[in-house]
Formats: sequence, C-alpha cells, structure tokens
Amino acid sequence: MPDTAAQIAATLLELRNVQIVYDNAVEAVRDVSLSVPEGSVVALLGSNGAGKSTLLKAVTGSLHREEGEIEKGTIHYGGRDIGHARTEDIVRAGLILVPEGRRLFANLTVDENLTMGAHLKDTARMKFQRDAVFDLFPKLKDRRHQISGYLSGGEQQMVAVGRALMAEPRLLALDEPSLGLAPLIIDGIYDTIARMRRELNMTILLVEQNATQAMEIADYVYIMENGRVVLDGPAEKTRSNLDVQEYYLGFSGGGEHRKSFRDIKHYKRRKRWLS
Amino acid sequence: MSYLVNLLASGLAVGAVYGLIAMSFAIIYKSTGLLNFAQGEMAMITAYVAWSISTSVDGNPFIVAAGSILFAIVFALAVERIAIRPMMNEPILSQIMVTIGLSVIFRSLVILVWDGLPHGMGIPAGDALVTLGDVRVRVAQIGVILFLFAAIVAMWAFFRYSRFGVAMRAVASDDGTAQLMGVNSGKVQMAAWGAAAVLSGVAGVLFAIGAELSPSLYALGLKAFPATILGGLDAIIGSAVGGLVVGITENLVGGYLSSGLKEVAGFVIIILILMIRPYGLFGEKRIERL
Ligand SMILES: Nc1ncnc2c1ncn2[C@@H]1O[C@H](COP(=O)(O)OP(=O)(O)OP(=O)(O)O)[C@@H](O)[C@H]1O
Ligand SMILES: [Mg+2]
Repeated sequence: MPDTAAQIAATLLELRNVQIVYDNAVEAVRDVSLSVPEGSVVALLGSNGAGKSTLLKAVTGSLHREEGEIEKGTIHYGGRDIGHARTEDIVRAGLILVPEGRRLFANLTVDENLTMGAHLKDTARMKFQRDAVFDLFPKLKDRRHQISGYLSGGEQQMVAVGRALMAEPRLLALDEPSLGLAPLIIDGIYDTIARMRRELNMTILLVEQNATQAMEIADYVYIMENGRVVLDGPAEKTRSNLDVQEYYLGFSGGGEHRKSFRDIKHYKRRKRWLS
Repeated sequence: MSYLVNLLASGLAVGAVYGLIAMSFAIIYKSTGLLNFAQGEMAMITAYVAWSISTSVDGNPFIVAAGSILFAIVFALAVERIAIRPMMNEPILSQIMVTIGLSVIFRSLVILVWDGLPHGMGIPAGDALVTLGDVRVRVAQIGVILFLFAAIVAMWAFFRYSRFGVAMRAVASDDGTAQLMGVNSGKVQMAAWGAAAVLSGVAGVLFAIGAELSPSLYALGLKAFPATILGGLDAIIGSAVGGLVVGITENLVGGYLSSGLKEVAGFVIIILILMIRPYGLFGEKRIERL
C-alpha cells in the first residue's frame, strides 16, 4: 500500500478496485478506485448507464436489494470496511444518500418526510435539525403540512436534500440532484450545496450528468464510462482538459482512427451536453 | 322493528370481529407487502389458549384478557422470526405460500393439542346477556364492537402521530428509500405482526365467548380477508369498515331472505363493489406486490 497513515485518516471514503455485478451476470462497475477526502467536494460524472448510481448503492449497502454484489475490491468509510455493512449502520455512521429521482415518500407530508430523515435520532435532535433545514429552505416551512407528492419538482428536491440533512451527514452523496429541474432551480440547488460545504464543512460526493456545474463546485473529478473511471483529476485541470480528452468524448481506438462526420456530430452533441 | 335492530346489532358484532381480523391483514400487507393467510388460524389458537387460561382461573376475565394478549404477541413474534423473517428477501409469492402452509399446520395443531369438539369459554362475565331497549346482546359482543372502535382510533393516531407509525407508512410507500433513512425493516415487520396478532387474537377470543369455541373458528379469516379487499388492501381503517359491511349484510340477508344465502351474501356485495371500485372502498394504490 502506498498510502501513509495520514492520508488514510484524511480520506473519508475510499473505494479500491471495486467490481460490481448484477444478477451474477451484468458487470456494472469494473475496477473502480475513488477517494473522497474529508471536507472536499468530489464530482463523479458520466453519461447514462456509466455505473454511477451502482457505485452509490454499493456505498450505502443497498445493492443486495437489486441482486447486485461487490465481486471484488474494498470500500472503506472513516477507516472502516463497509463493503458488507448494513445500510442502517452506514446511515448511523453519517453516510447519507439523496437518491436518484428524489424518491420522496409521496403520500407523506413534508414534515413527515423530514422526520424520516432523522429516523435514527431522538425527537429533540430531530426537531433541532428540522429547524436548521427550515432555515436553509424557508419555503419548506410554509409547505410543511402538504403532501410531498404534490410539490413542484424543485420543492421536492429541496425536501430530498433537507431529508438527508436531517440525518446530520458527515458525507452527503447526491445522485443527480439536477435531474429534470429548470436551470434556475438547479442554480438554487447548487447554491445550497456550496453553502452546506462552506457553513457545515460537509464532505460531498456529487454524481451528475450535468458536468459543467458540477465541475465548478467540485475540488476533484472522476469521469466514468461503461463501468470504468476513464479520467480523474483536480477539477481545474480536468475542466481545461476536457475538450481535448478524446476518450472521454466517446472516441475509441488509437490515433489512426479518422474522425468521421458522425463522430463530429457526436462530438458536438457532447459539447452541448457539457455547456 | 325490534327484529331489524337485533339483526343490526348482532351484525355489527360479527362485523367487528371480521373488521379486526381484516385490519390485521391490512396492517401486515401495508407495511411488508405480505398477505398472512394464517391470520384466522392465529386468532383461533389464541382463542384456544384463552380457553385454557380461563379453565385454570375460573373464567376471571382480566387474567384471560391479559394472558391471551400476551400470548398473541409472543406467538406472532415467534412465527415471524422462525418462519417469515428467513423468507424476507424471497419472492412475495413464496412468502404467501409459507403462510398458507402455516395455516394448515395451525389447524391440525388445535385438534392435536386440544380437541375437535365445540366448547363454551367458561367466562360468565362475557357470556352475560344485556338488554338495551329492544336489543339483547352478550357482553362479549358489546366488547368486540367497542374494541374495534378503540382499535380504529389507536391505529389512526399511531400511524399519524407516532414516529414509528410514520416510519411504517414510509416503508409502505417505498421500503428501499426507508432503508436509506436507517429504517430496519425487520423491526417494522415485527411491529406489524405483533399489532395484527393482538387485534385478531382479541377478535377471536371475544367471538368464541359470544358464540362458541370450535376448530372451525379459523374460517373467520376467510370472511375477513374479502372484507380487507373490500375496504382496500392497504387501507387499515377501510378494512375495519369492510368487515362491518360484510357482517351487517350477512345478518340482514340471513334474517330477511334465507339463512342459506347468509354465507354468500358478503361475497356477493364484495364482488359488486369491486366491480365499481377495483381498489376497494378506501384503497389508494395498485396491488402490485401480490
Ligand atoms: N438492478 C439492476 N439489475 C441489472 N442491471 C442493472 C441494475 N441497475 C443498473 N443496472 C445496469 O448497470 C449499469 C449501470 O447502471 P447505473 O444505474 O449505475 O448507471 P448510471 O451511471 O447511474 O446512469 P444514469 O446516469 O442513467 O443514472 C447499466 O448498464 C444498467 O443497465
Ligand atoms: Mg444513475
């Protein structure tokens, strides 16, 4: 192991050579290593089916629900091997996920959804956290007795993030928080993420397809394609690199591969997707 | 007029028995997606245990009540832990098969441990007849109606105001996400089985006091299950209403039309209502996990 003890202590989440299969057949993640240092924002980018959500399921111990399994590799959180830990224990240790598509309890009220976020906390602590969430999202306070399924998409995302904050996360993982939201709403969500990091000193693992905005906020970036990490580096560097990173842009093969018109169109499509 | 009122009163009483067992089906279904087809049998065994207690304490109603409620809980938790928990991640159909298997075992168990004959429960306090105006009913019949209403209020408050009750609703709505909040679905399942056992166990005991104890008591479950469907499989309070509808319909049909039709009347009503409201009177979501 090349790591020194100090490095291990500073790394909150560490995945090493992780390989994940579904149904003993579908290889969704192959040989992924990734680390999230304490206090940092790490972005994990990639297009549909890259394996991002699968990684988050592995980290929260919920793969088994979908017949998924960590075939190889290790996952350490706070120095502890959580590769086979129960979700309940992972949550108790402060690793909290805002799942893809928000997944609110649609027929529960906003208040009840927030209460659920603090399920493992006592009631006094729950109320304290709820006040903090209402400070962050004053709008939710007005809507607290409404059935969450009838809120707008942006409000629902606030509930989803607020619900996760109820658990007082040490590491907050967000799976595509901008999915399906209007640009203005997305800006709001990103402002909140920036605030959580600044004011609460929270460590954040941000999964996104929306690369530009995620990269602005992140310290470090991983890019996944087809279950592998194809590129990683400090956000600054990666951003300026991006346009010239051929394999990230989806071209396969070596230098002799001539770019056809279709490739260029493909390239443009990706460019738009980046902007 | 007095005939009608008496029919209604005894219909209400038997409907309350169905309603309590129907609520039990709904509680377990709503929080775990499972249908416990041994619910009626578990109520029957609780009634037999109550009888055994009753004969050894000279029918003291308080000791019988406390003892049978305690037994119902312990019994349900044991069944949950031994037979259901290990199946938790198996297909729901296999789990339902397990409960059907249990129901057959429990029926034989009653004959094996006790006997196949009908018995009185030997609880004079519950047997006693009360006259309320035109209506003559047994104390146990009044008791089961009151217990049903208490159960409705208790369940409503529990699911609305207690944190664990909210968590059970969250599990019902999306169990995967509830687990992401740290909810332990094993605990939820235990709570559901425990609560269901108390409701249906008390119903079984009070029914046995008002009528008689016999190995055919399990058939209460067969009447209660359609009542659950009628109320809406995921509607706990709706299931209670479903039970009352079935009980009262049966009695009215039996009293005015023919006693031969009595047994099927409830089912006919259910089929008619389901043709109009496929998810039951109060059901809110599709039955997907069946
Ligand atoms: N439950 C499952 N069973 C089988 N295969 C699955 C399952 N969930 C995901 N997969 C497969 O694993 C691969 C990675 O999926 P994953 O959901 O992790 O992608 P993603 O990067 O999150 O994509 P998106 O951006 O669309 O959410 C895909 O090929 C997908 O089809
Ligand atoms: Mg995903």
